[in-house]
Amino acid sequence: MRARQTLFFLSPWLLTLAAFYLFPVVYSLVLSLLNFNPLNPSATTWAGLANYSRAFQDPLLCKAAVNTLYFVVGTVPVTTVLALVLAILLNRSLPGQTFFRAGFFIPTLVSMVVISLVFKQLYAQDGILNQALSLLGIPGRAWLLDERTAFPGIMLMDIWSAIGYYMLLFLAGLQAIPRELYEAASIDGSSKLSQIFQITLPHLRPVALVVIVVNTIRSFQVFIEVFVMTRGGPLNSTLTVVYDLYERAFYRFEMGYASAIAYLLFAVIFLVSLIQARFLRLGQPVGG
Amino acid sequence: MMKRLLVWAFIFLAFLLSSFPLFWMLFLSFKTQGQFGLQNYSDLMASGPFARYVLNSLVVALFVVLGNVTLAAMTGYAFARKSFRGREVLFATVLGTLMIPKQATMIPVFILMTKLHLLDTYAALILPFLVDGFSILLIRQYLLSLPPDLEEAARLDGASELRVFWQVVMPLAKPALAVVAINAFIVNWNSFIYPLILTSRQAMRTLPVGLALYAQGEHSLDWGHLMSGSALSALPILLVFLLFSRQIISGLTQGAVKG
Repeated sequence: MRARQTLFFLSPWLLTLAAFYLFPVVYSLVLSLLNFNPLNPSATTWAGLANYSRAFQDPLLCKAAVNTLYFVVGTVPVTTVLALVLAILLNRSLPGQTFFRAGFFIPTLVSMVVISLVFKQLYAQDGILNQALSLLGIPGRAWLLDERTAFPGIMLMDIWSAIGYYMLLFLAGLQAIPRELYEAASIDGSSKLSQIFQITLPHLRPVALVVIVVNTIRSFQVFIEVFVMTRGGPLNSTLTVVYDLYERAFYRFEMGYASAIAYLLFAVIFLVSLIQARFLRLGQPVGG
Repeated sequence: MMKRLLVWAFIFLAFLLSSFPLFWMLFLSFKTQGQFGLQNYSDLMASGPFARYVLNSLVVALFVVLGNVTLAAMTGYAFARKSFRGREVLFATVLGTLMIPKQATMIPVFILMTKLHLLDTYAALILPFLVDGFSILLIRQYLLSLPPDLEEAARLDGASELRVFWQVVMPLAKPALAVVAINAFIVNWNSFIYPLILTSRQAMRTLPVGLALYAQGEHSLDWGHLMSGSALSALPILLVFLLFSRQIISGLTQGAVKG
């Protein structure tokens, strides 16, 4: 009787778990070992590990992987540091504090499609950025059509759109630090700056780990920006792994190969998260 | 004093940089050849099925919010209050679902929906998101922070399990349910890759997908139209933020900081 009741409460979740998590995870592993085209399912053949070995020799995918790595390395540290600086500055009482926090936070709630469209306008030949530059006498360009500036432009936008969220997480972490620590340090005569290094940063390490891991996982999956702004161009300079995966699965219907790419990406993300957790020594006592 | 002023000036500058793009979007959305008004919005509504996109997004978001508030609440309640075999393993599974990236599941889900003839239906856009692991986590966390006294009193009074859940637990969990509802709304309203692959008919596109595809079509350089479409997509989120910023922030920080 009691078990039946519990099952009743759990059953909606168990059904969605089976249909949308367990089945897909297993099925995409199977798919990754097949040559499968949904338009022609009768032509399905066993591929074994061929999809995986193909991935390592695929110049387009390698280009996408390098770009994605570049994106992660170029955005995550900058976002983390800027979010931390803003959080520390906003943690004291300032006129307009609530207003400022909202101003930084709102962009993180707005859909990436909207943000991408707005920045596509900013970066366009007739966009506001070029108009501002022309006031300074600097010649403009179509930033997203130039292979040297398109990807950095997308990265800059990503940093802009992400800072507020991580700032908020750092703020929550800052508010959990006991005030007495700072008071004691002040009495001991340590400066504001050395308090940041001796009290604030060590205490923020668990939050910093969350910020870095969450942002890294998200950045490895960068897709919407590319879909809306450049579709991987110009000259594949903005092609990312998930965008490549999407085109292979849903334009060329190479779903077996795309599943192998998805699994490889998942493995990379998982490994990188583990390394980051180890590096930042998750679970160690604060201040050690 | 001087230092405080410098800090304030720095933050103010950062604030201007941070808010300018969205203000610029609003400005362009109201501007048509030197005039200000709602011309872009009415043109946009006339030029594509944008009203339909908005409707689709609203319908999907409504059901996803209702699903998470009731079904995820049931799950969170079971994890917080019931003891059963395999609870630890199942709860670890909840956490696990949060770590699986979308692109690892989207191809099988696409094939599943194709087989079930559910592509281009509301069901395809709603079912995968009906019970989110994050919602379960929030409810469980909240219920664990409350003593089970009221529920036990209701049971002593002879209330059925369903009644205990519906009339005692649900009202008690209201603050957590609000966080769940708002979070589910924002996530779903902005959701992109799943609605993109699970729909192909224009009439079934959601607002973000319809907007992104509209931007790739022949209208690609009509910034007035594009910015008014963007503003339409952003405004409900801004409204929700103005009304519920406390719940939004509590949801985000609970999710990440307490994990």
